[in-house]
Order: sequence, then C-alpha cells, then structure tokens
Amino acid sequence: MPVYSLEVAVVLLGLVLLMMEAFVAGKDKRFVAHTALLGLGAVLVGSFFVDRTPDASGFWSFYKADGLAMTYKAIALACTMLVIVLGLDYIPVLEKFTARVGGHGAWGEFFCLPVFICAGMMWMASASDLTSIFVSLELVTIAFYVMVTFMRRNVGSLEAGVKYLILGALSTGFLVYGFTWLFGVTGQTNLDVIAAKLNSGTVATVPAMFSFALILVALAFKIGAVPLQFWIPDVYQGAPTPITAYLSVGSKAAGFIVTTRILQVFLGSEALVHNCTAILLAVACATLLVGNLAAIPQTNFKRLLAYSSISHAGFLVLALAAGPAGAFGLAPGQIVAYYLAAYLIMTLLAFAVLVVINRTSGSDDLNAFNGLHQRSPFLAFALLVAVASLAGVPLTVGFVGKLLVFAAAVKASLWLPLGFAIIGAVAGFYYYLKVLRNMYWNAPAGGTLPAITLSGLTKATLLLLIAATVVLGVWWAPLFQLVRR
Amino acid sequence: MVKGEAMLQDYLPVLMQILIASGFAAVTLAVSVLLGKSGKRNAIKDSAYECGMLPIGDMQPRFSVKFYMVAMLFVLFDIEVVFMFPWAVTFKDLVLHSTTAFWSMAGFAFVLLVAYVYALKKGALKWND
Repeated sequence: MPVYSLEVAVVLLGLVLLMMEAFVAGKDKRFVAHTALLGLGAVLVGSFFVDRTPDASGFWSFYKADGLAMTYKAIALACTMLVIVLGLDYIPVLEKFTARVGGHGAWGEFFCLPVFICAGMMWMASASDLTSIFVSLELVTIAFYVMVTFMRRNVGSLEAGVKYLILGALSTGFLVYGFTWLFGVTGQTNLDVIAAKLNSGTVATVPAMFSFALILVALAFKIGAVPLQFWIPDVYQGAPTPITAYLSVGSKAAGFIVTTRILQVFLGSEALVHNCTAILLAVACATLLVGNLAAIPQTNFKRLLAYSSISHAGFLVLALAAGPAGAFGLAPGQIVAYYLAAYLIMTLLAFAVLVVINRTSGSDDLNAFNGLHQRSPFLAFALLVAVASLAGVPLTVGFVGKLLVFAAAVKASLWLPLGFAIIGAVAGFYYYLKVLRNMYWNAPAGGTLPAITLSGLTKATLLLLIAATVVLGVWWAPLFQLVRR
Repeated sequence: MVKGEAMLQDYLPVLMQILIASGFAAVTLAVSVLLGKSGKRNAIKDSAYECGMLPIGDMQPRFSVKFYMVAMLFVLFDIEVVFMFPWAVTFKDLVLHSTTAFWSMAGFAFVLLVAYVYALKKGALKWND
C-alpha cells in the first residue's frame, strides 16, 4: 500500500461516518464515534506498514513521507482518537447546548468532523509545497471553525467561534501574502527547490526576510506563539472541552510540522540564517514570558491550560531556534516531535479529567476541583500525574521533553533565552501544582459532593495515559525510536 | 490568412451568443405581450413579486434561515464548478500521460456527491417545515 492511501482511507472513513450519521435512524449517535475510533485505529496500525518509497510521478513534489511526516501522522491519528473518547464523555453537555427548544440535541457530526480534521493534519505532516501546505492547513482550520462553535446554544462557544474565525482569516491572509513574496523572490513553490534557490546567493535577501516575517506571524497563530497568542485563552475557554484539547494538541502539532519544514528552508540559507534566528529567539523569549507569567493568576483551569499551551509553544520555538545541532542525537525537528508526543499524552490526560469535572459540575473553575480526592481518588491521581508532567517533574514524560529543549539551548550557548526558559519552568511549577491544593486540601463549597463514576472506556483511556506518562518518563527508548524513524 | 482576421474569427461564438441571448429576451417579451392577459389590474398583481419584499413592515425584517442555507449551498457548489473548468481545459493533454487526472476529478466529484446527499438528507433544501 502506498503511503498516501492513509489519507484516502481517513477521508473515506469520514464520508462513511457522515452518511451513517445522516441515514441511520435513532437519536443515539454514539455508534458514529465507535466506528470512527475503530477506523482511525486501523489506519494508525496501518501507518506502520505502508510503502514509503516515492515513485516518478509529480505527486511527490507536493508530498513527503520522511520519518518526521510519519511521526506527525501518528500524532494526528492518536490525538483524534483520544479527542473522540473525550467527546463521548462530553455528550451530556453537547446534548444540552445543541438541543432545539423542546427537542433533542444534534451532535452526530461532532464525531465526523474530527476525522476530516485528522486527514488535513496528516496532509500537513507530509506537505512539502506551498500549495499543499495552504490547502491542507485550510482543511484543518475551516473544520475547526465549525467545531469551536459547535454548542450553538452556548454564548461562550459562539464568541469563541467568532474570535477564532476572524483571527484565523487574518492569519491566513498573512500566510498567503508571505507565500506570494517567497514565490516572487524564488519563482518556485516546492520547499526543497526554494531552499536550494535561497542558498544559491542569487536571491534578494530583503524581500525574502519580508516573506519570512509574514509567514512566521501566520504560523504563530497556528502554534499559539507571540505575537498572535491573544486568541488562545478566549477560544480555549469557550470551545467545547474536547475541541479545546484538539486545538491545543492536534492543531498545534500540525502547525509545528509546517513550521519545522518552512524554517528548514530559511535557516538553511546562509544569507538569512542570522536574522531569522534572531527573530525566532525573540519570539521564543516573548512567548515563554507571556505564557508562563500570565498563567500565574488564572483561576479557571481551562484558561490555565490555554496559557500552558502558549508556554509550551515557547519551549518548542526555542528548540527550533537553537540551530541544527539538536541534542542527544536528535535533530531540532525530532526534538519538537518528541516534545509534542509527550505534550499530547500529558495534555490530553489533563483535559480528560477536566471533561469529567465539567460534566459533573458544569464549571471549569479551579474551585470545581475542590475535594476531588474524596469524590474520586483515581481522577485526582490522574490529574496529579498530568500536572506534574506538564510542569516537568523528573520521571515523567514532560521532563524528558524539557530536558531535550534545555540541552539543545545549552549546546547552542543561548544563555539569555535559557534564562527565560528557566523563569518559565519555575513559574510552571507554581501554577500547575496550584490545582493540587484544590484537589487534596480544599473542602468542596456545598458540603460533600457525590462520588464520580467513570465509564469503562474513560477509565481505560485514563489508565493508558497515566501509564504512558510515567513509563515513557523512565524508559525513553520507544518515543526516541518513533521520532527517529 | 492575416493574424488579425484569425483573432476576430475566434470571437464569432461570442457574437452568436450575444445574438441568441438578446433574441431570446426579445422573443420572450413579445410573446408575453401577445399571449398575456394585460389590462386587468388588481392589488396582488401590483405588488412586488418574485424578487422583492412588501415595502411596508419592520425596518430590519428577519429572514428565514432557509434563504441563507440555499445561498450558502449555491455558492459552495458554484465554486466547485469553477474548479472543474481548468481541469476540463487541460484534460485532453493530461489524460495522454496517465489516468491520474481522471481519477482525481472522479474523487473530487464523489466527495461532492456525498456532500450533496448529506445536505438533502438533513433537509437543508426543504422549503416547507
């Protein structure tokens, strides 16, 4: 099987789900989610057995199937599956906020659209041409516009949707404008050819820098870095929680593979590498500072995770800016892939707990976590593992990711940005572990609340994520092998 | 043949199109005058019809969401056809090399078909409910 049959399979799965959703009678559409899980799981397994050798056709100038692309495809598939599991837990909330007056909710499509987003993210992982980058990125973004506003009877969800739509359209404009400048100076759309052209010394550097700046702004929107990080807290707070998790992990990962590929072009050019690195380092420092310091006073757990998402973007940009040396035998792109795989595990673990809390208490506030230890020691432990890993406590997978970034920065002697990263990491210990006080020491406001029961699927998913966080924090080899493919 | 003449000949179909279009309009108007029952005026006949609203009412009238649904679907499918034009123009050359051009458009049209069936089934084009 050729490698692009993976995307074809995912799109076909999405179409089948859409038809099932429309034609199978009955109000309970859970089977759509179950079918999606099975199908995506099959594609994930299949992604390890496809034939990746390119043939002579012109298709391969748009599409790359290197190890990095395969890693990001696996991340996209795993993330989509976990988001669908989260969505199953979130159905009562969806039912409430999508129902017509006196009628039933309509949330069948909530489990179809992520499959199309997944296909878009898989194409982004392979995109190696300005046109294929743009088309796959739009497939992801447009589907996300719908998903963010999915709870149409909820004002917060609508507000989040409007903000995401307007800023998303703006950033797309930046991206296309940057692409036109890049095409203007090189006359090419394939990234490898552009890289060769930029390196040949025949290209004017000022317009090339201009295109770099424009593209970087657009990508900053996707990955949640300064200067386009403003939308993150508001959109994350308003969107349905599983979609917040999806934005935070899937959309960010897909943005980072495109960023990695485009930066390879600019950082590979001797004439541009100096200025580009300076801009990237400034972005990394500002992102680290904004993300971590703004997270400190947050009292809403969803907003806290939003600022955490910004701060992680800062670490990742720092890894990319640290130059081609990398660390521990991993190239910068591979460090980012490793960090994102770790980030996927711990962030989705935190969101999985948040979905249950939100369903049972209707709130995302830190106060909603009060007394969680008494209500469900298992959930409290799951969140303990998640926040410890997000903060970067040793023996968790998050620690390894941060270690790689710091090692890369030390190797490149970036002492000032390293200072910002240390400030960020220290601040992280405070704001991530803040929730522990609520869970273990604070008493719930209205006396004792009933215990929380979990479905089998949720329990299994939480257990899997906890195990992955701890085991991969001690035994690094599997993830190393995954990103080194 | 001179170059200018050949270029003008290319525009012959356009001229024919203009003649047919204006001829069709003229014939339609003439037939409606000849066959239509003119002269009997009443309130309903004098009101705006087909593409107009009664000029009395709220300043900001509320439109049914159905209009937006149809408009949106129209724009979507309209744009899809725009993609087919460049494909159709180059198809003859492309298909000589490989069948990729055919299958990619077949895939595109298939996705559209599924989308159309979905819209129909969800009642996006249903006017009475």
